[in-house]
Amino acid sequence: MAHYSPPTQSKVSQLIDVVVLVALTVGALFVPLWLGMAGSSKSVAAPVENPTWETLGQNATQAAQYEALGYTPASAHDLILARFDYSFTTGALLLMVAVIVLYYVLMLRFSEIEYREVISEKFGEK
Amino acid sequence: METWNYIEYAAWGLSALFGLYMVIDWFKIDTTYSEDVLTSSREGELEAMTEQHKV
Amino acid sequence: MAEVDITSKTMDGMGPHGTKVGLLRVLGPAHVWALGVGIVLVGEYMGWNFAVGKGGAYAALIACWFAGILYTCVAMIDSEVTSTVAAAGGQYTQAKHIVGPLMAFNVGLYLVFAYTMLEAANAITAGYLFSVVATMSGYEGTLDQRPFIILVIMFLAWLNYRGVLATLTFNLVITAIAFVAILVLFVSTSGLVGAGIMQHAALMEGAASLPYGWIGVLAAMHFGLWYYLGIEGTTQAAEEVRSPARALPFGTLAGIMTLLIAATLTWYICSGVLPWEFLGDGVNGSVAPLFDTARLSGSNGLIWLLGFGTLFATLASANGCINDASRAWFAMGRDKYLPGWFGAVHPKYRTPYRAIIFLVPIALIFALGAPLDQVITFSILSGLLEYTFMPLNIIMFRKKWPLNTIKRGYEHPFHPLPAIVLLSLCGITFFAVFLGYGTQLVAMIGFYIVVSLWFHFWRYRFVNRGAQFTMPWPKPQGY
Repeated sequence: MAHYSPPTQSKVSQLIDVVVLVALTVGALFVPLWLGMAGSSKSVAAPVENPTWETLGQNATQAAQYEALGYTPASAHDLILARFDYSFTTGALLLMVAVIVLYYVLMLRFSEIEYREVISEKFGEK
Repeated sequence: METWNYIEYAAWGLSALFGLYMVIDWFKIDTTYSEDVLTSSREGELEAMTEQHKV
Repeated sequence: MAEVDITSKTMDGMGPHGTKVGLLRVLGPAHVWALGVGIVLVGEYMGWNFAVGKGGAYAALIACWFAGILYTCVAMIDSEVTSTVAAAGGQYTQAKHIVGPLMAFNVGLYLVFAYTMLEAANAITAGYLFSVVATMSGYEGTLDQRPFIILVIMFLAWLNYRGVLATLTFNLVITAIAFVAILVLFVSTSGLVGAGIMQHAALMEGAASLPYGWIGVLAAMHFGLWYYLGIEGTTQAAEEVRSPARALPFGTLAGIMTLLIAATLTWYICSGVLPWEFLGDGVNGSVAPLFDTARLSGSNGLIWLLGFGTLFATLASANGCINDASRAWFAMGRDKYLPGWFGAVHPKYRTPYRAIIFLVPIALIFALGAPLDQVITFSILSGLLEYTFMPLNIIMFRKKWPLNTIKRGYEHPFHPLPAIVLLSLCGITFFAVFLGYGTQLVAMIGFYIVVSLWFHFWRYRFVNRGAQFTMPWPKPQGY
């Protein structure tokens, strides 16, 4: 294949490229946060009124360690009882699998096209 | 205790100092040397000389 | 050209008169170890304990070992490829030569994000440490953590800017101290010397053993990676190591062994002292578990040692991250994958100075603007995508260049078993991330898809086609 000589990129165009990339990056992290869709939050399913170490389900050793750390049953209440919710729907799981597979397939295909070009320019056609 | 307020200010100050150092040096280098020299590094040139592969 | 001394400090050996400015070859295997372990060791001081929160203490141990297997595969595969592809950019350069340009662009971004996010997480932790020290010393107000977060990033960026040898020698010292601190804490609390304070049985009995059941074990894999995340960064030093083909495999494999020991000891110490609900909550509970353990030991000496250990570990990690992220960013700039402006080397300090400066504000945005577990998740996800790439990479590498076609500094055993194990473990971890952070996962992959299209249809036109293949290898088989 003919030798490909890339155009020189102007300073302004370089700058725009960087801005685009940074905007996309910040977007990927902060958009889920702003939309409040970031999972992972724990919640207390069944709060306990006037908690004691026993009602919080702590044995003597565990209670002693909490006290050594400076907690009282009241202040440790949320920490101890909060749990993650691991329930999910099959649809969401399939969506995730599809997105990941799509991503890798897309990338490997485009890479292969570009790679063949690189090899044929570097080593010449067979 | 007041000490920690001073330490806070010191941290701001030092950060500014390190930042300033880099920015000033960056400016100096970019105006002293030509872009061709600065971006003359090429990947793998060393390997081409020092490592033996049958091509 | 044969008499060029590649260890010369005055001439870079890149041109007959040294007119070209390249990175400086000054590092030995110990620096490689320090770079690898230095980045990761902070994972034992903070962050891994989110795995406890995800599934309980036993789940965290299982995750620790499975993640250990994952990373052993990573280290073996990486050592083989990198002992052959020795260039700044590490996995990015590997991908460019073995899989193709778009993959390389993605891998380069994984690297930069994994490290920059990790750097941000470290700075957040360092800021928190300063506030704890302030409280312990009797300060009554709330300490503003921001100046300390900024100072950590600025100072380390400055250190990196000034030269790689000082940067990594600094890393070697503080990493060694942080590692020794874990050993000392283990010896003095486990009962080996004097009375122990370990109470595993009582702390992990009944409902506290596997609070979420087995799905919790799967979920814990997500943060299990945190015990080792970043060990693959050793390859970034390839252009600055005196003898890459030997030093890189040696430093990397010694590094993963160090980490396996440190991770297991850390789990043992912390889970034997801290109740799992406290230990597992890295935001409201135990931000720095080893430090909290030392506090409960009642020994002032241990408190100070582990306090410094935690601080040093965060500094070493942030330091290594700046080093690695800037090398990857630099390498992409050099190839015009990113604006060529970034491909500049400082003529005096021989560092990729523009890449270093550029990444400072990026790290600051994340360190000051996002919560710790989100930042860690972003980092882990980028790492995970990278580990998924590695098995594909090694399989293609062995296929395109079978063992007898090019000289390898290190050949990993049992191929393709490590690749398959690695791929399966990555699949499990994707599921674990999905359980807690499905939205981020999809947002992040969405980001990479958009960026890939942007690269393929726009950015790639500025890249030299044949010239980016720089290794002196024969033509790959099948092309």
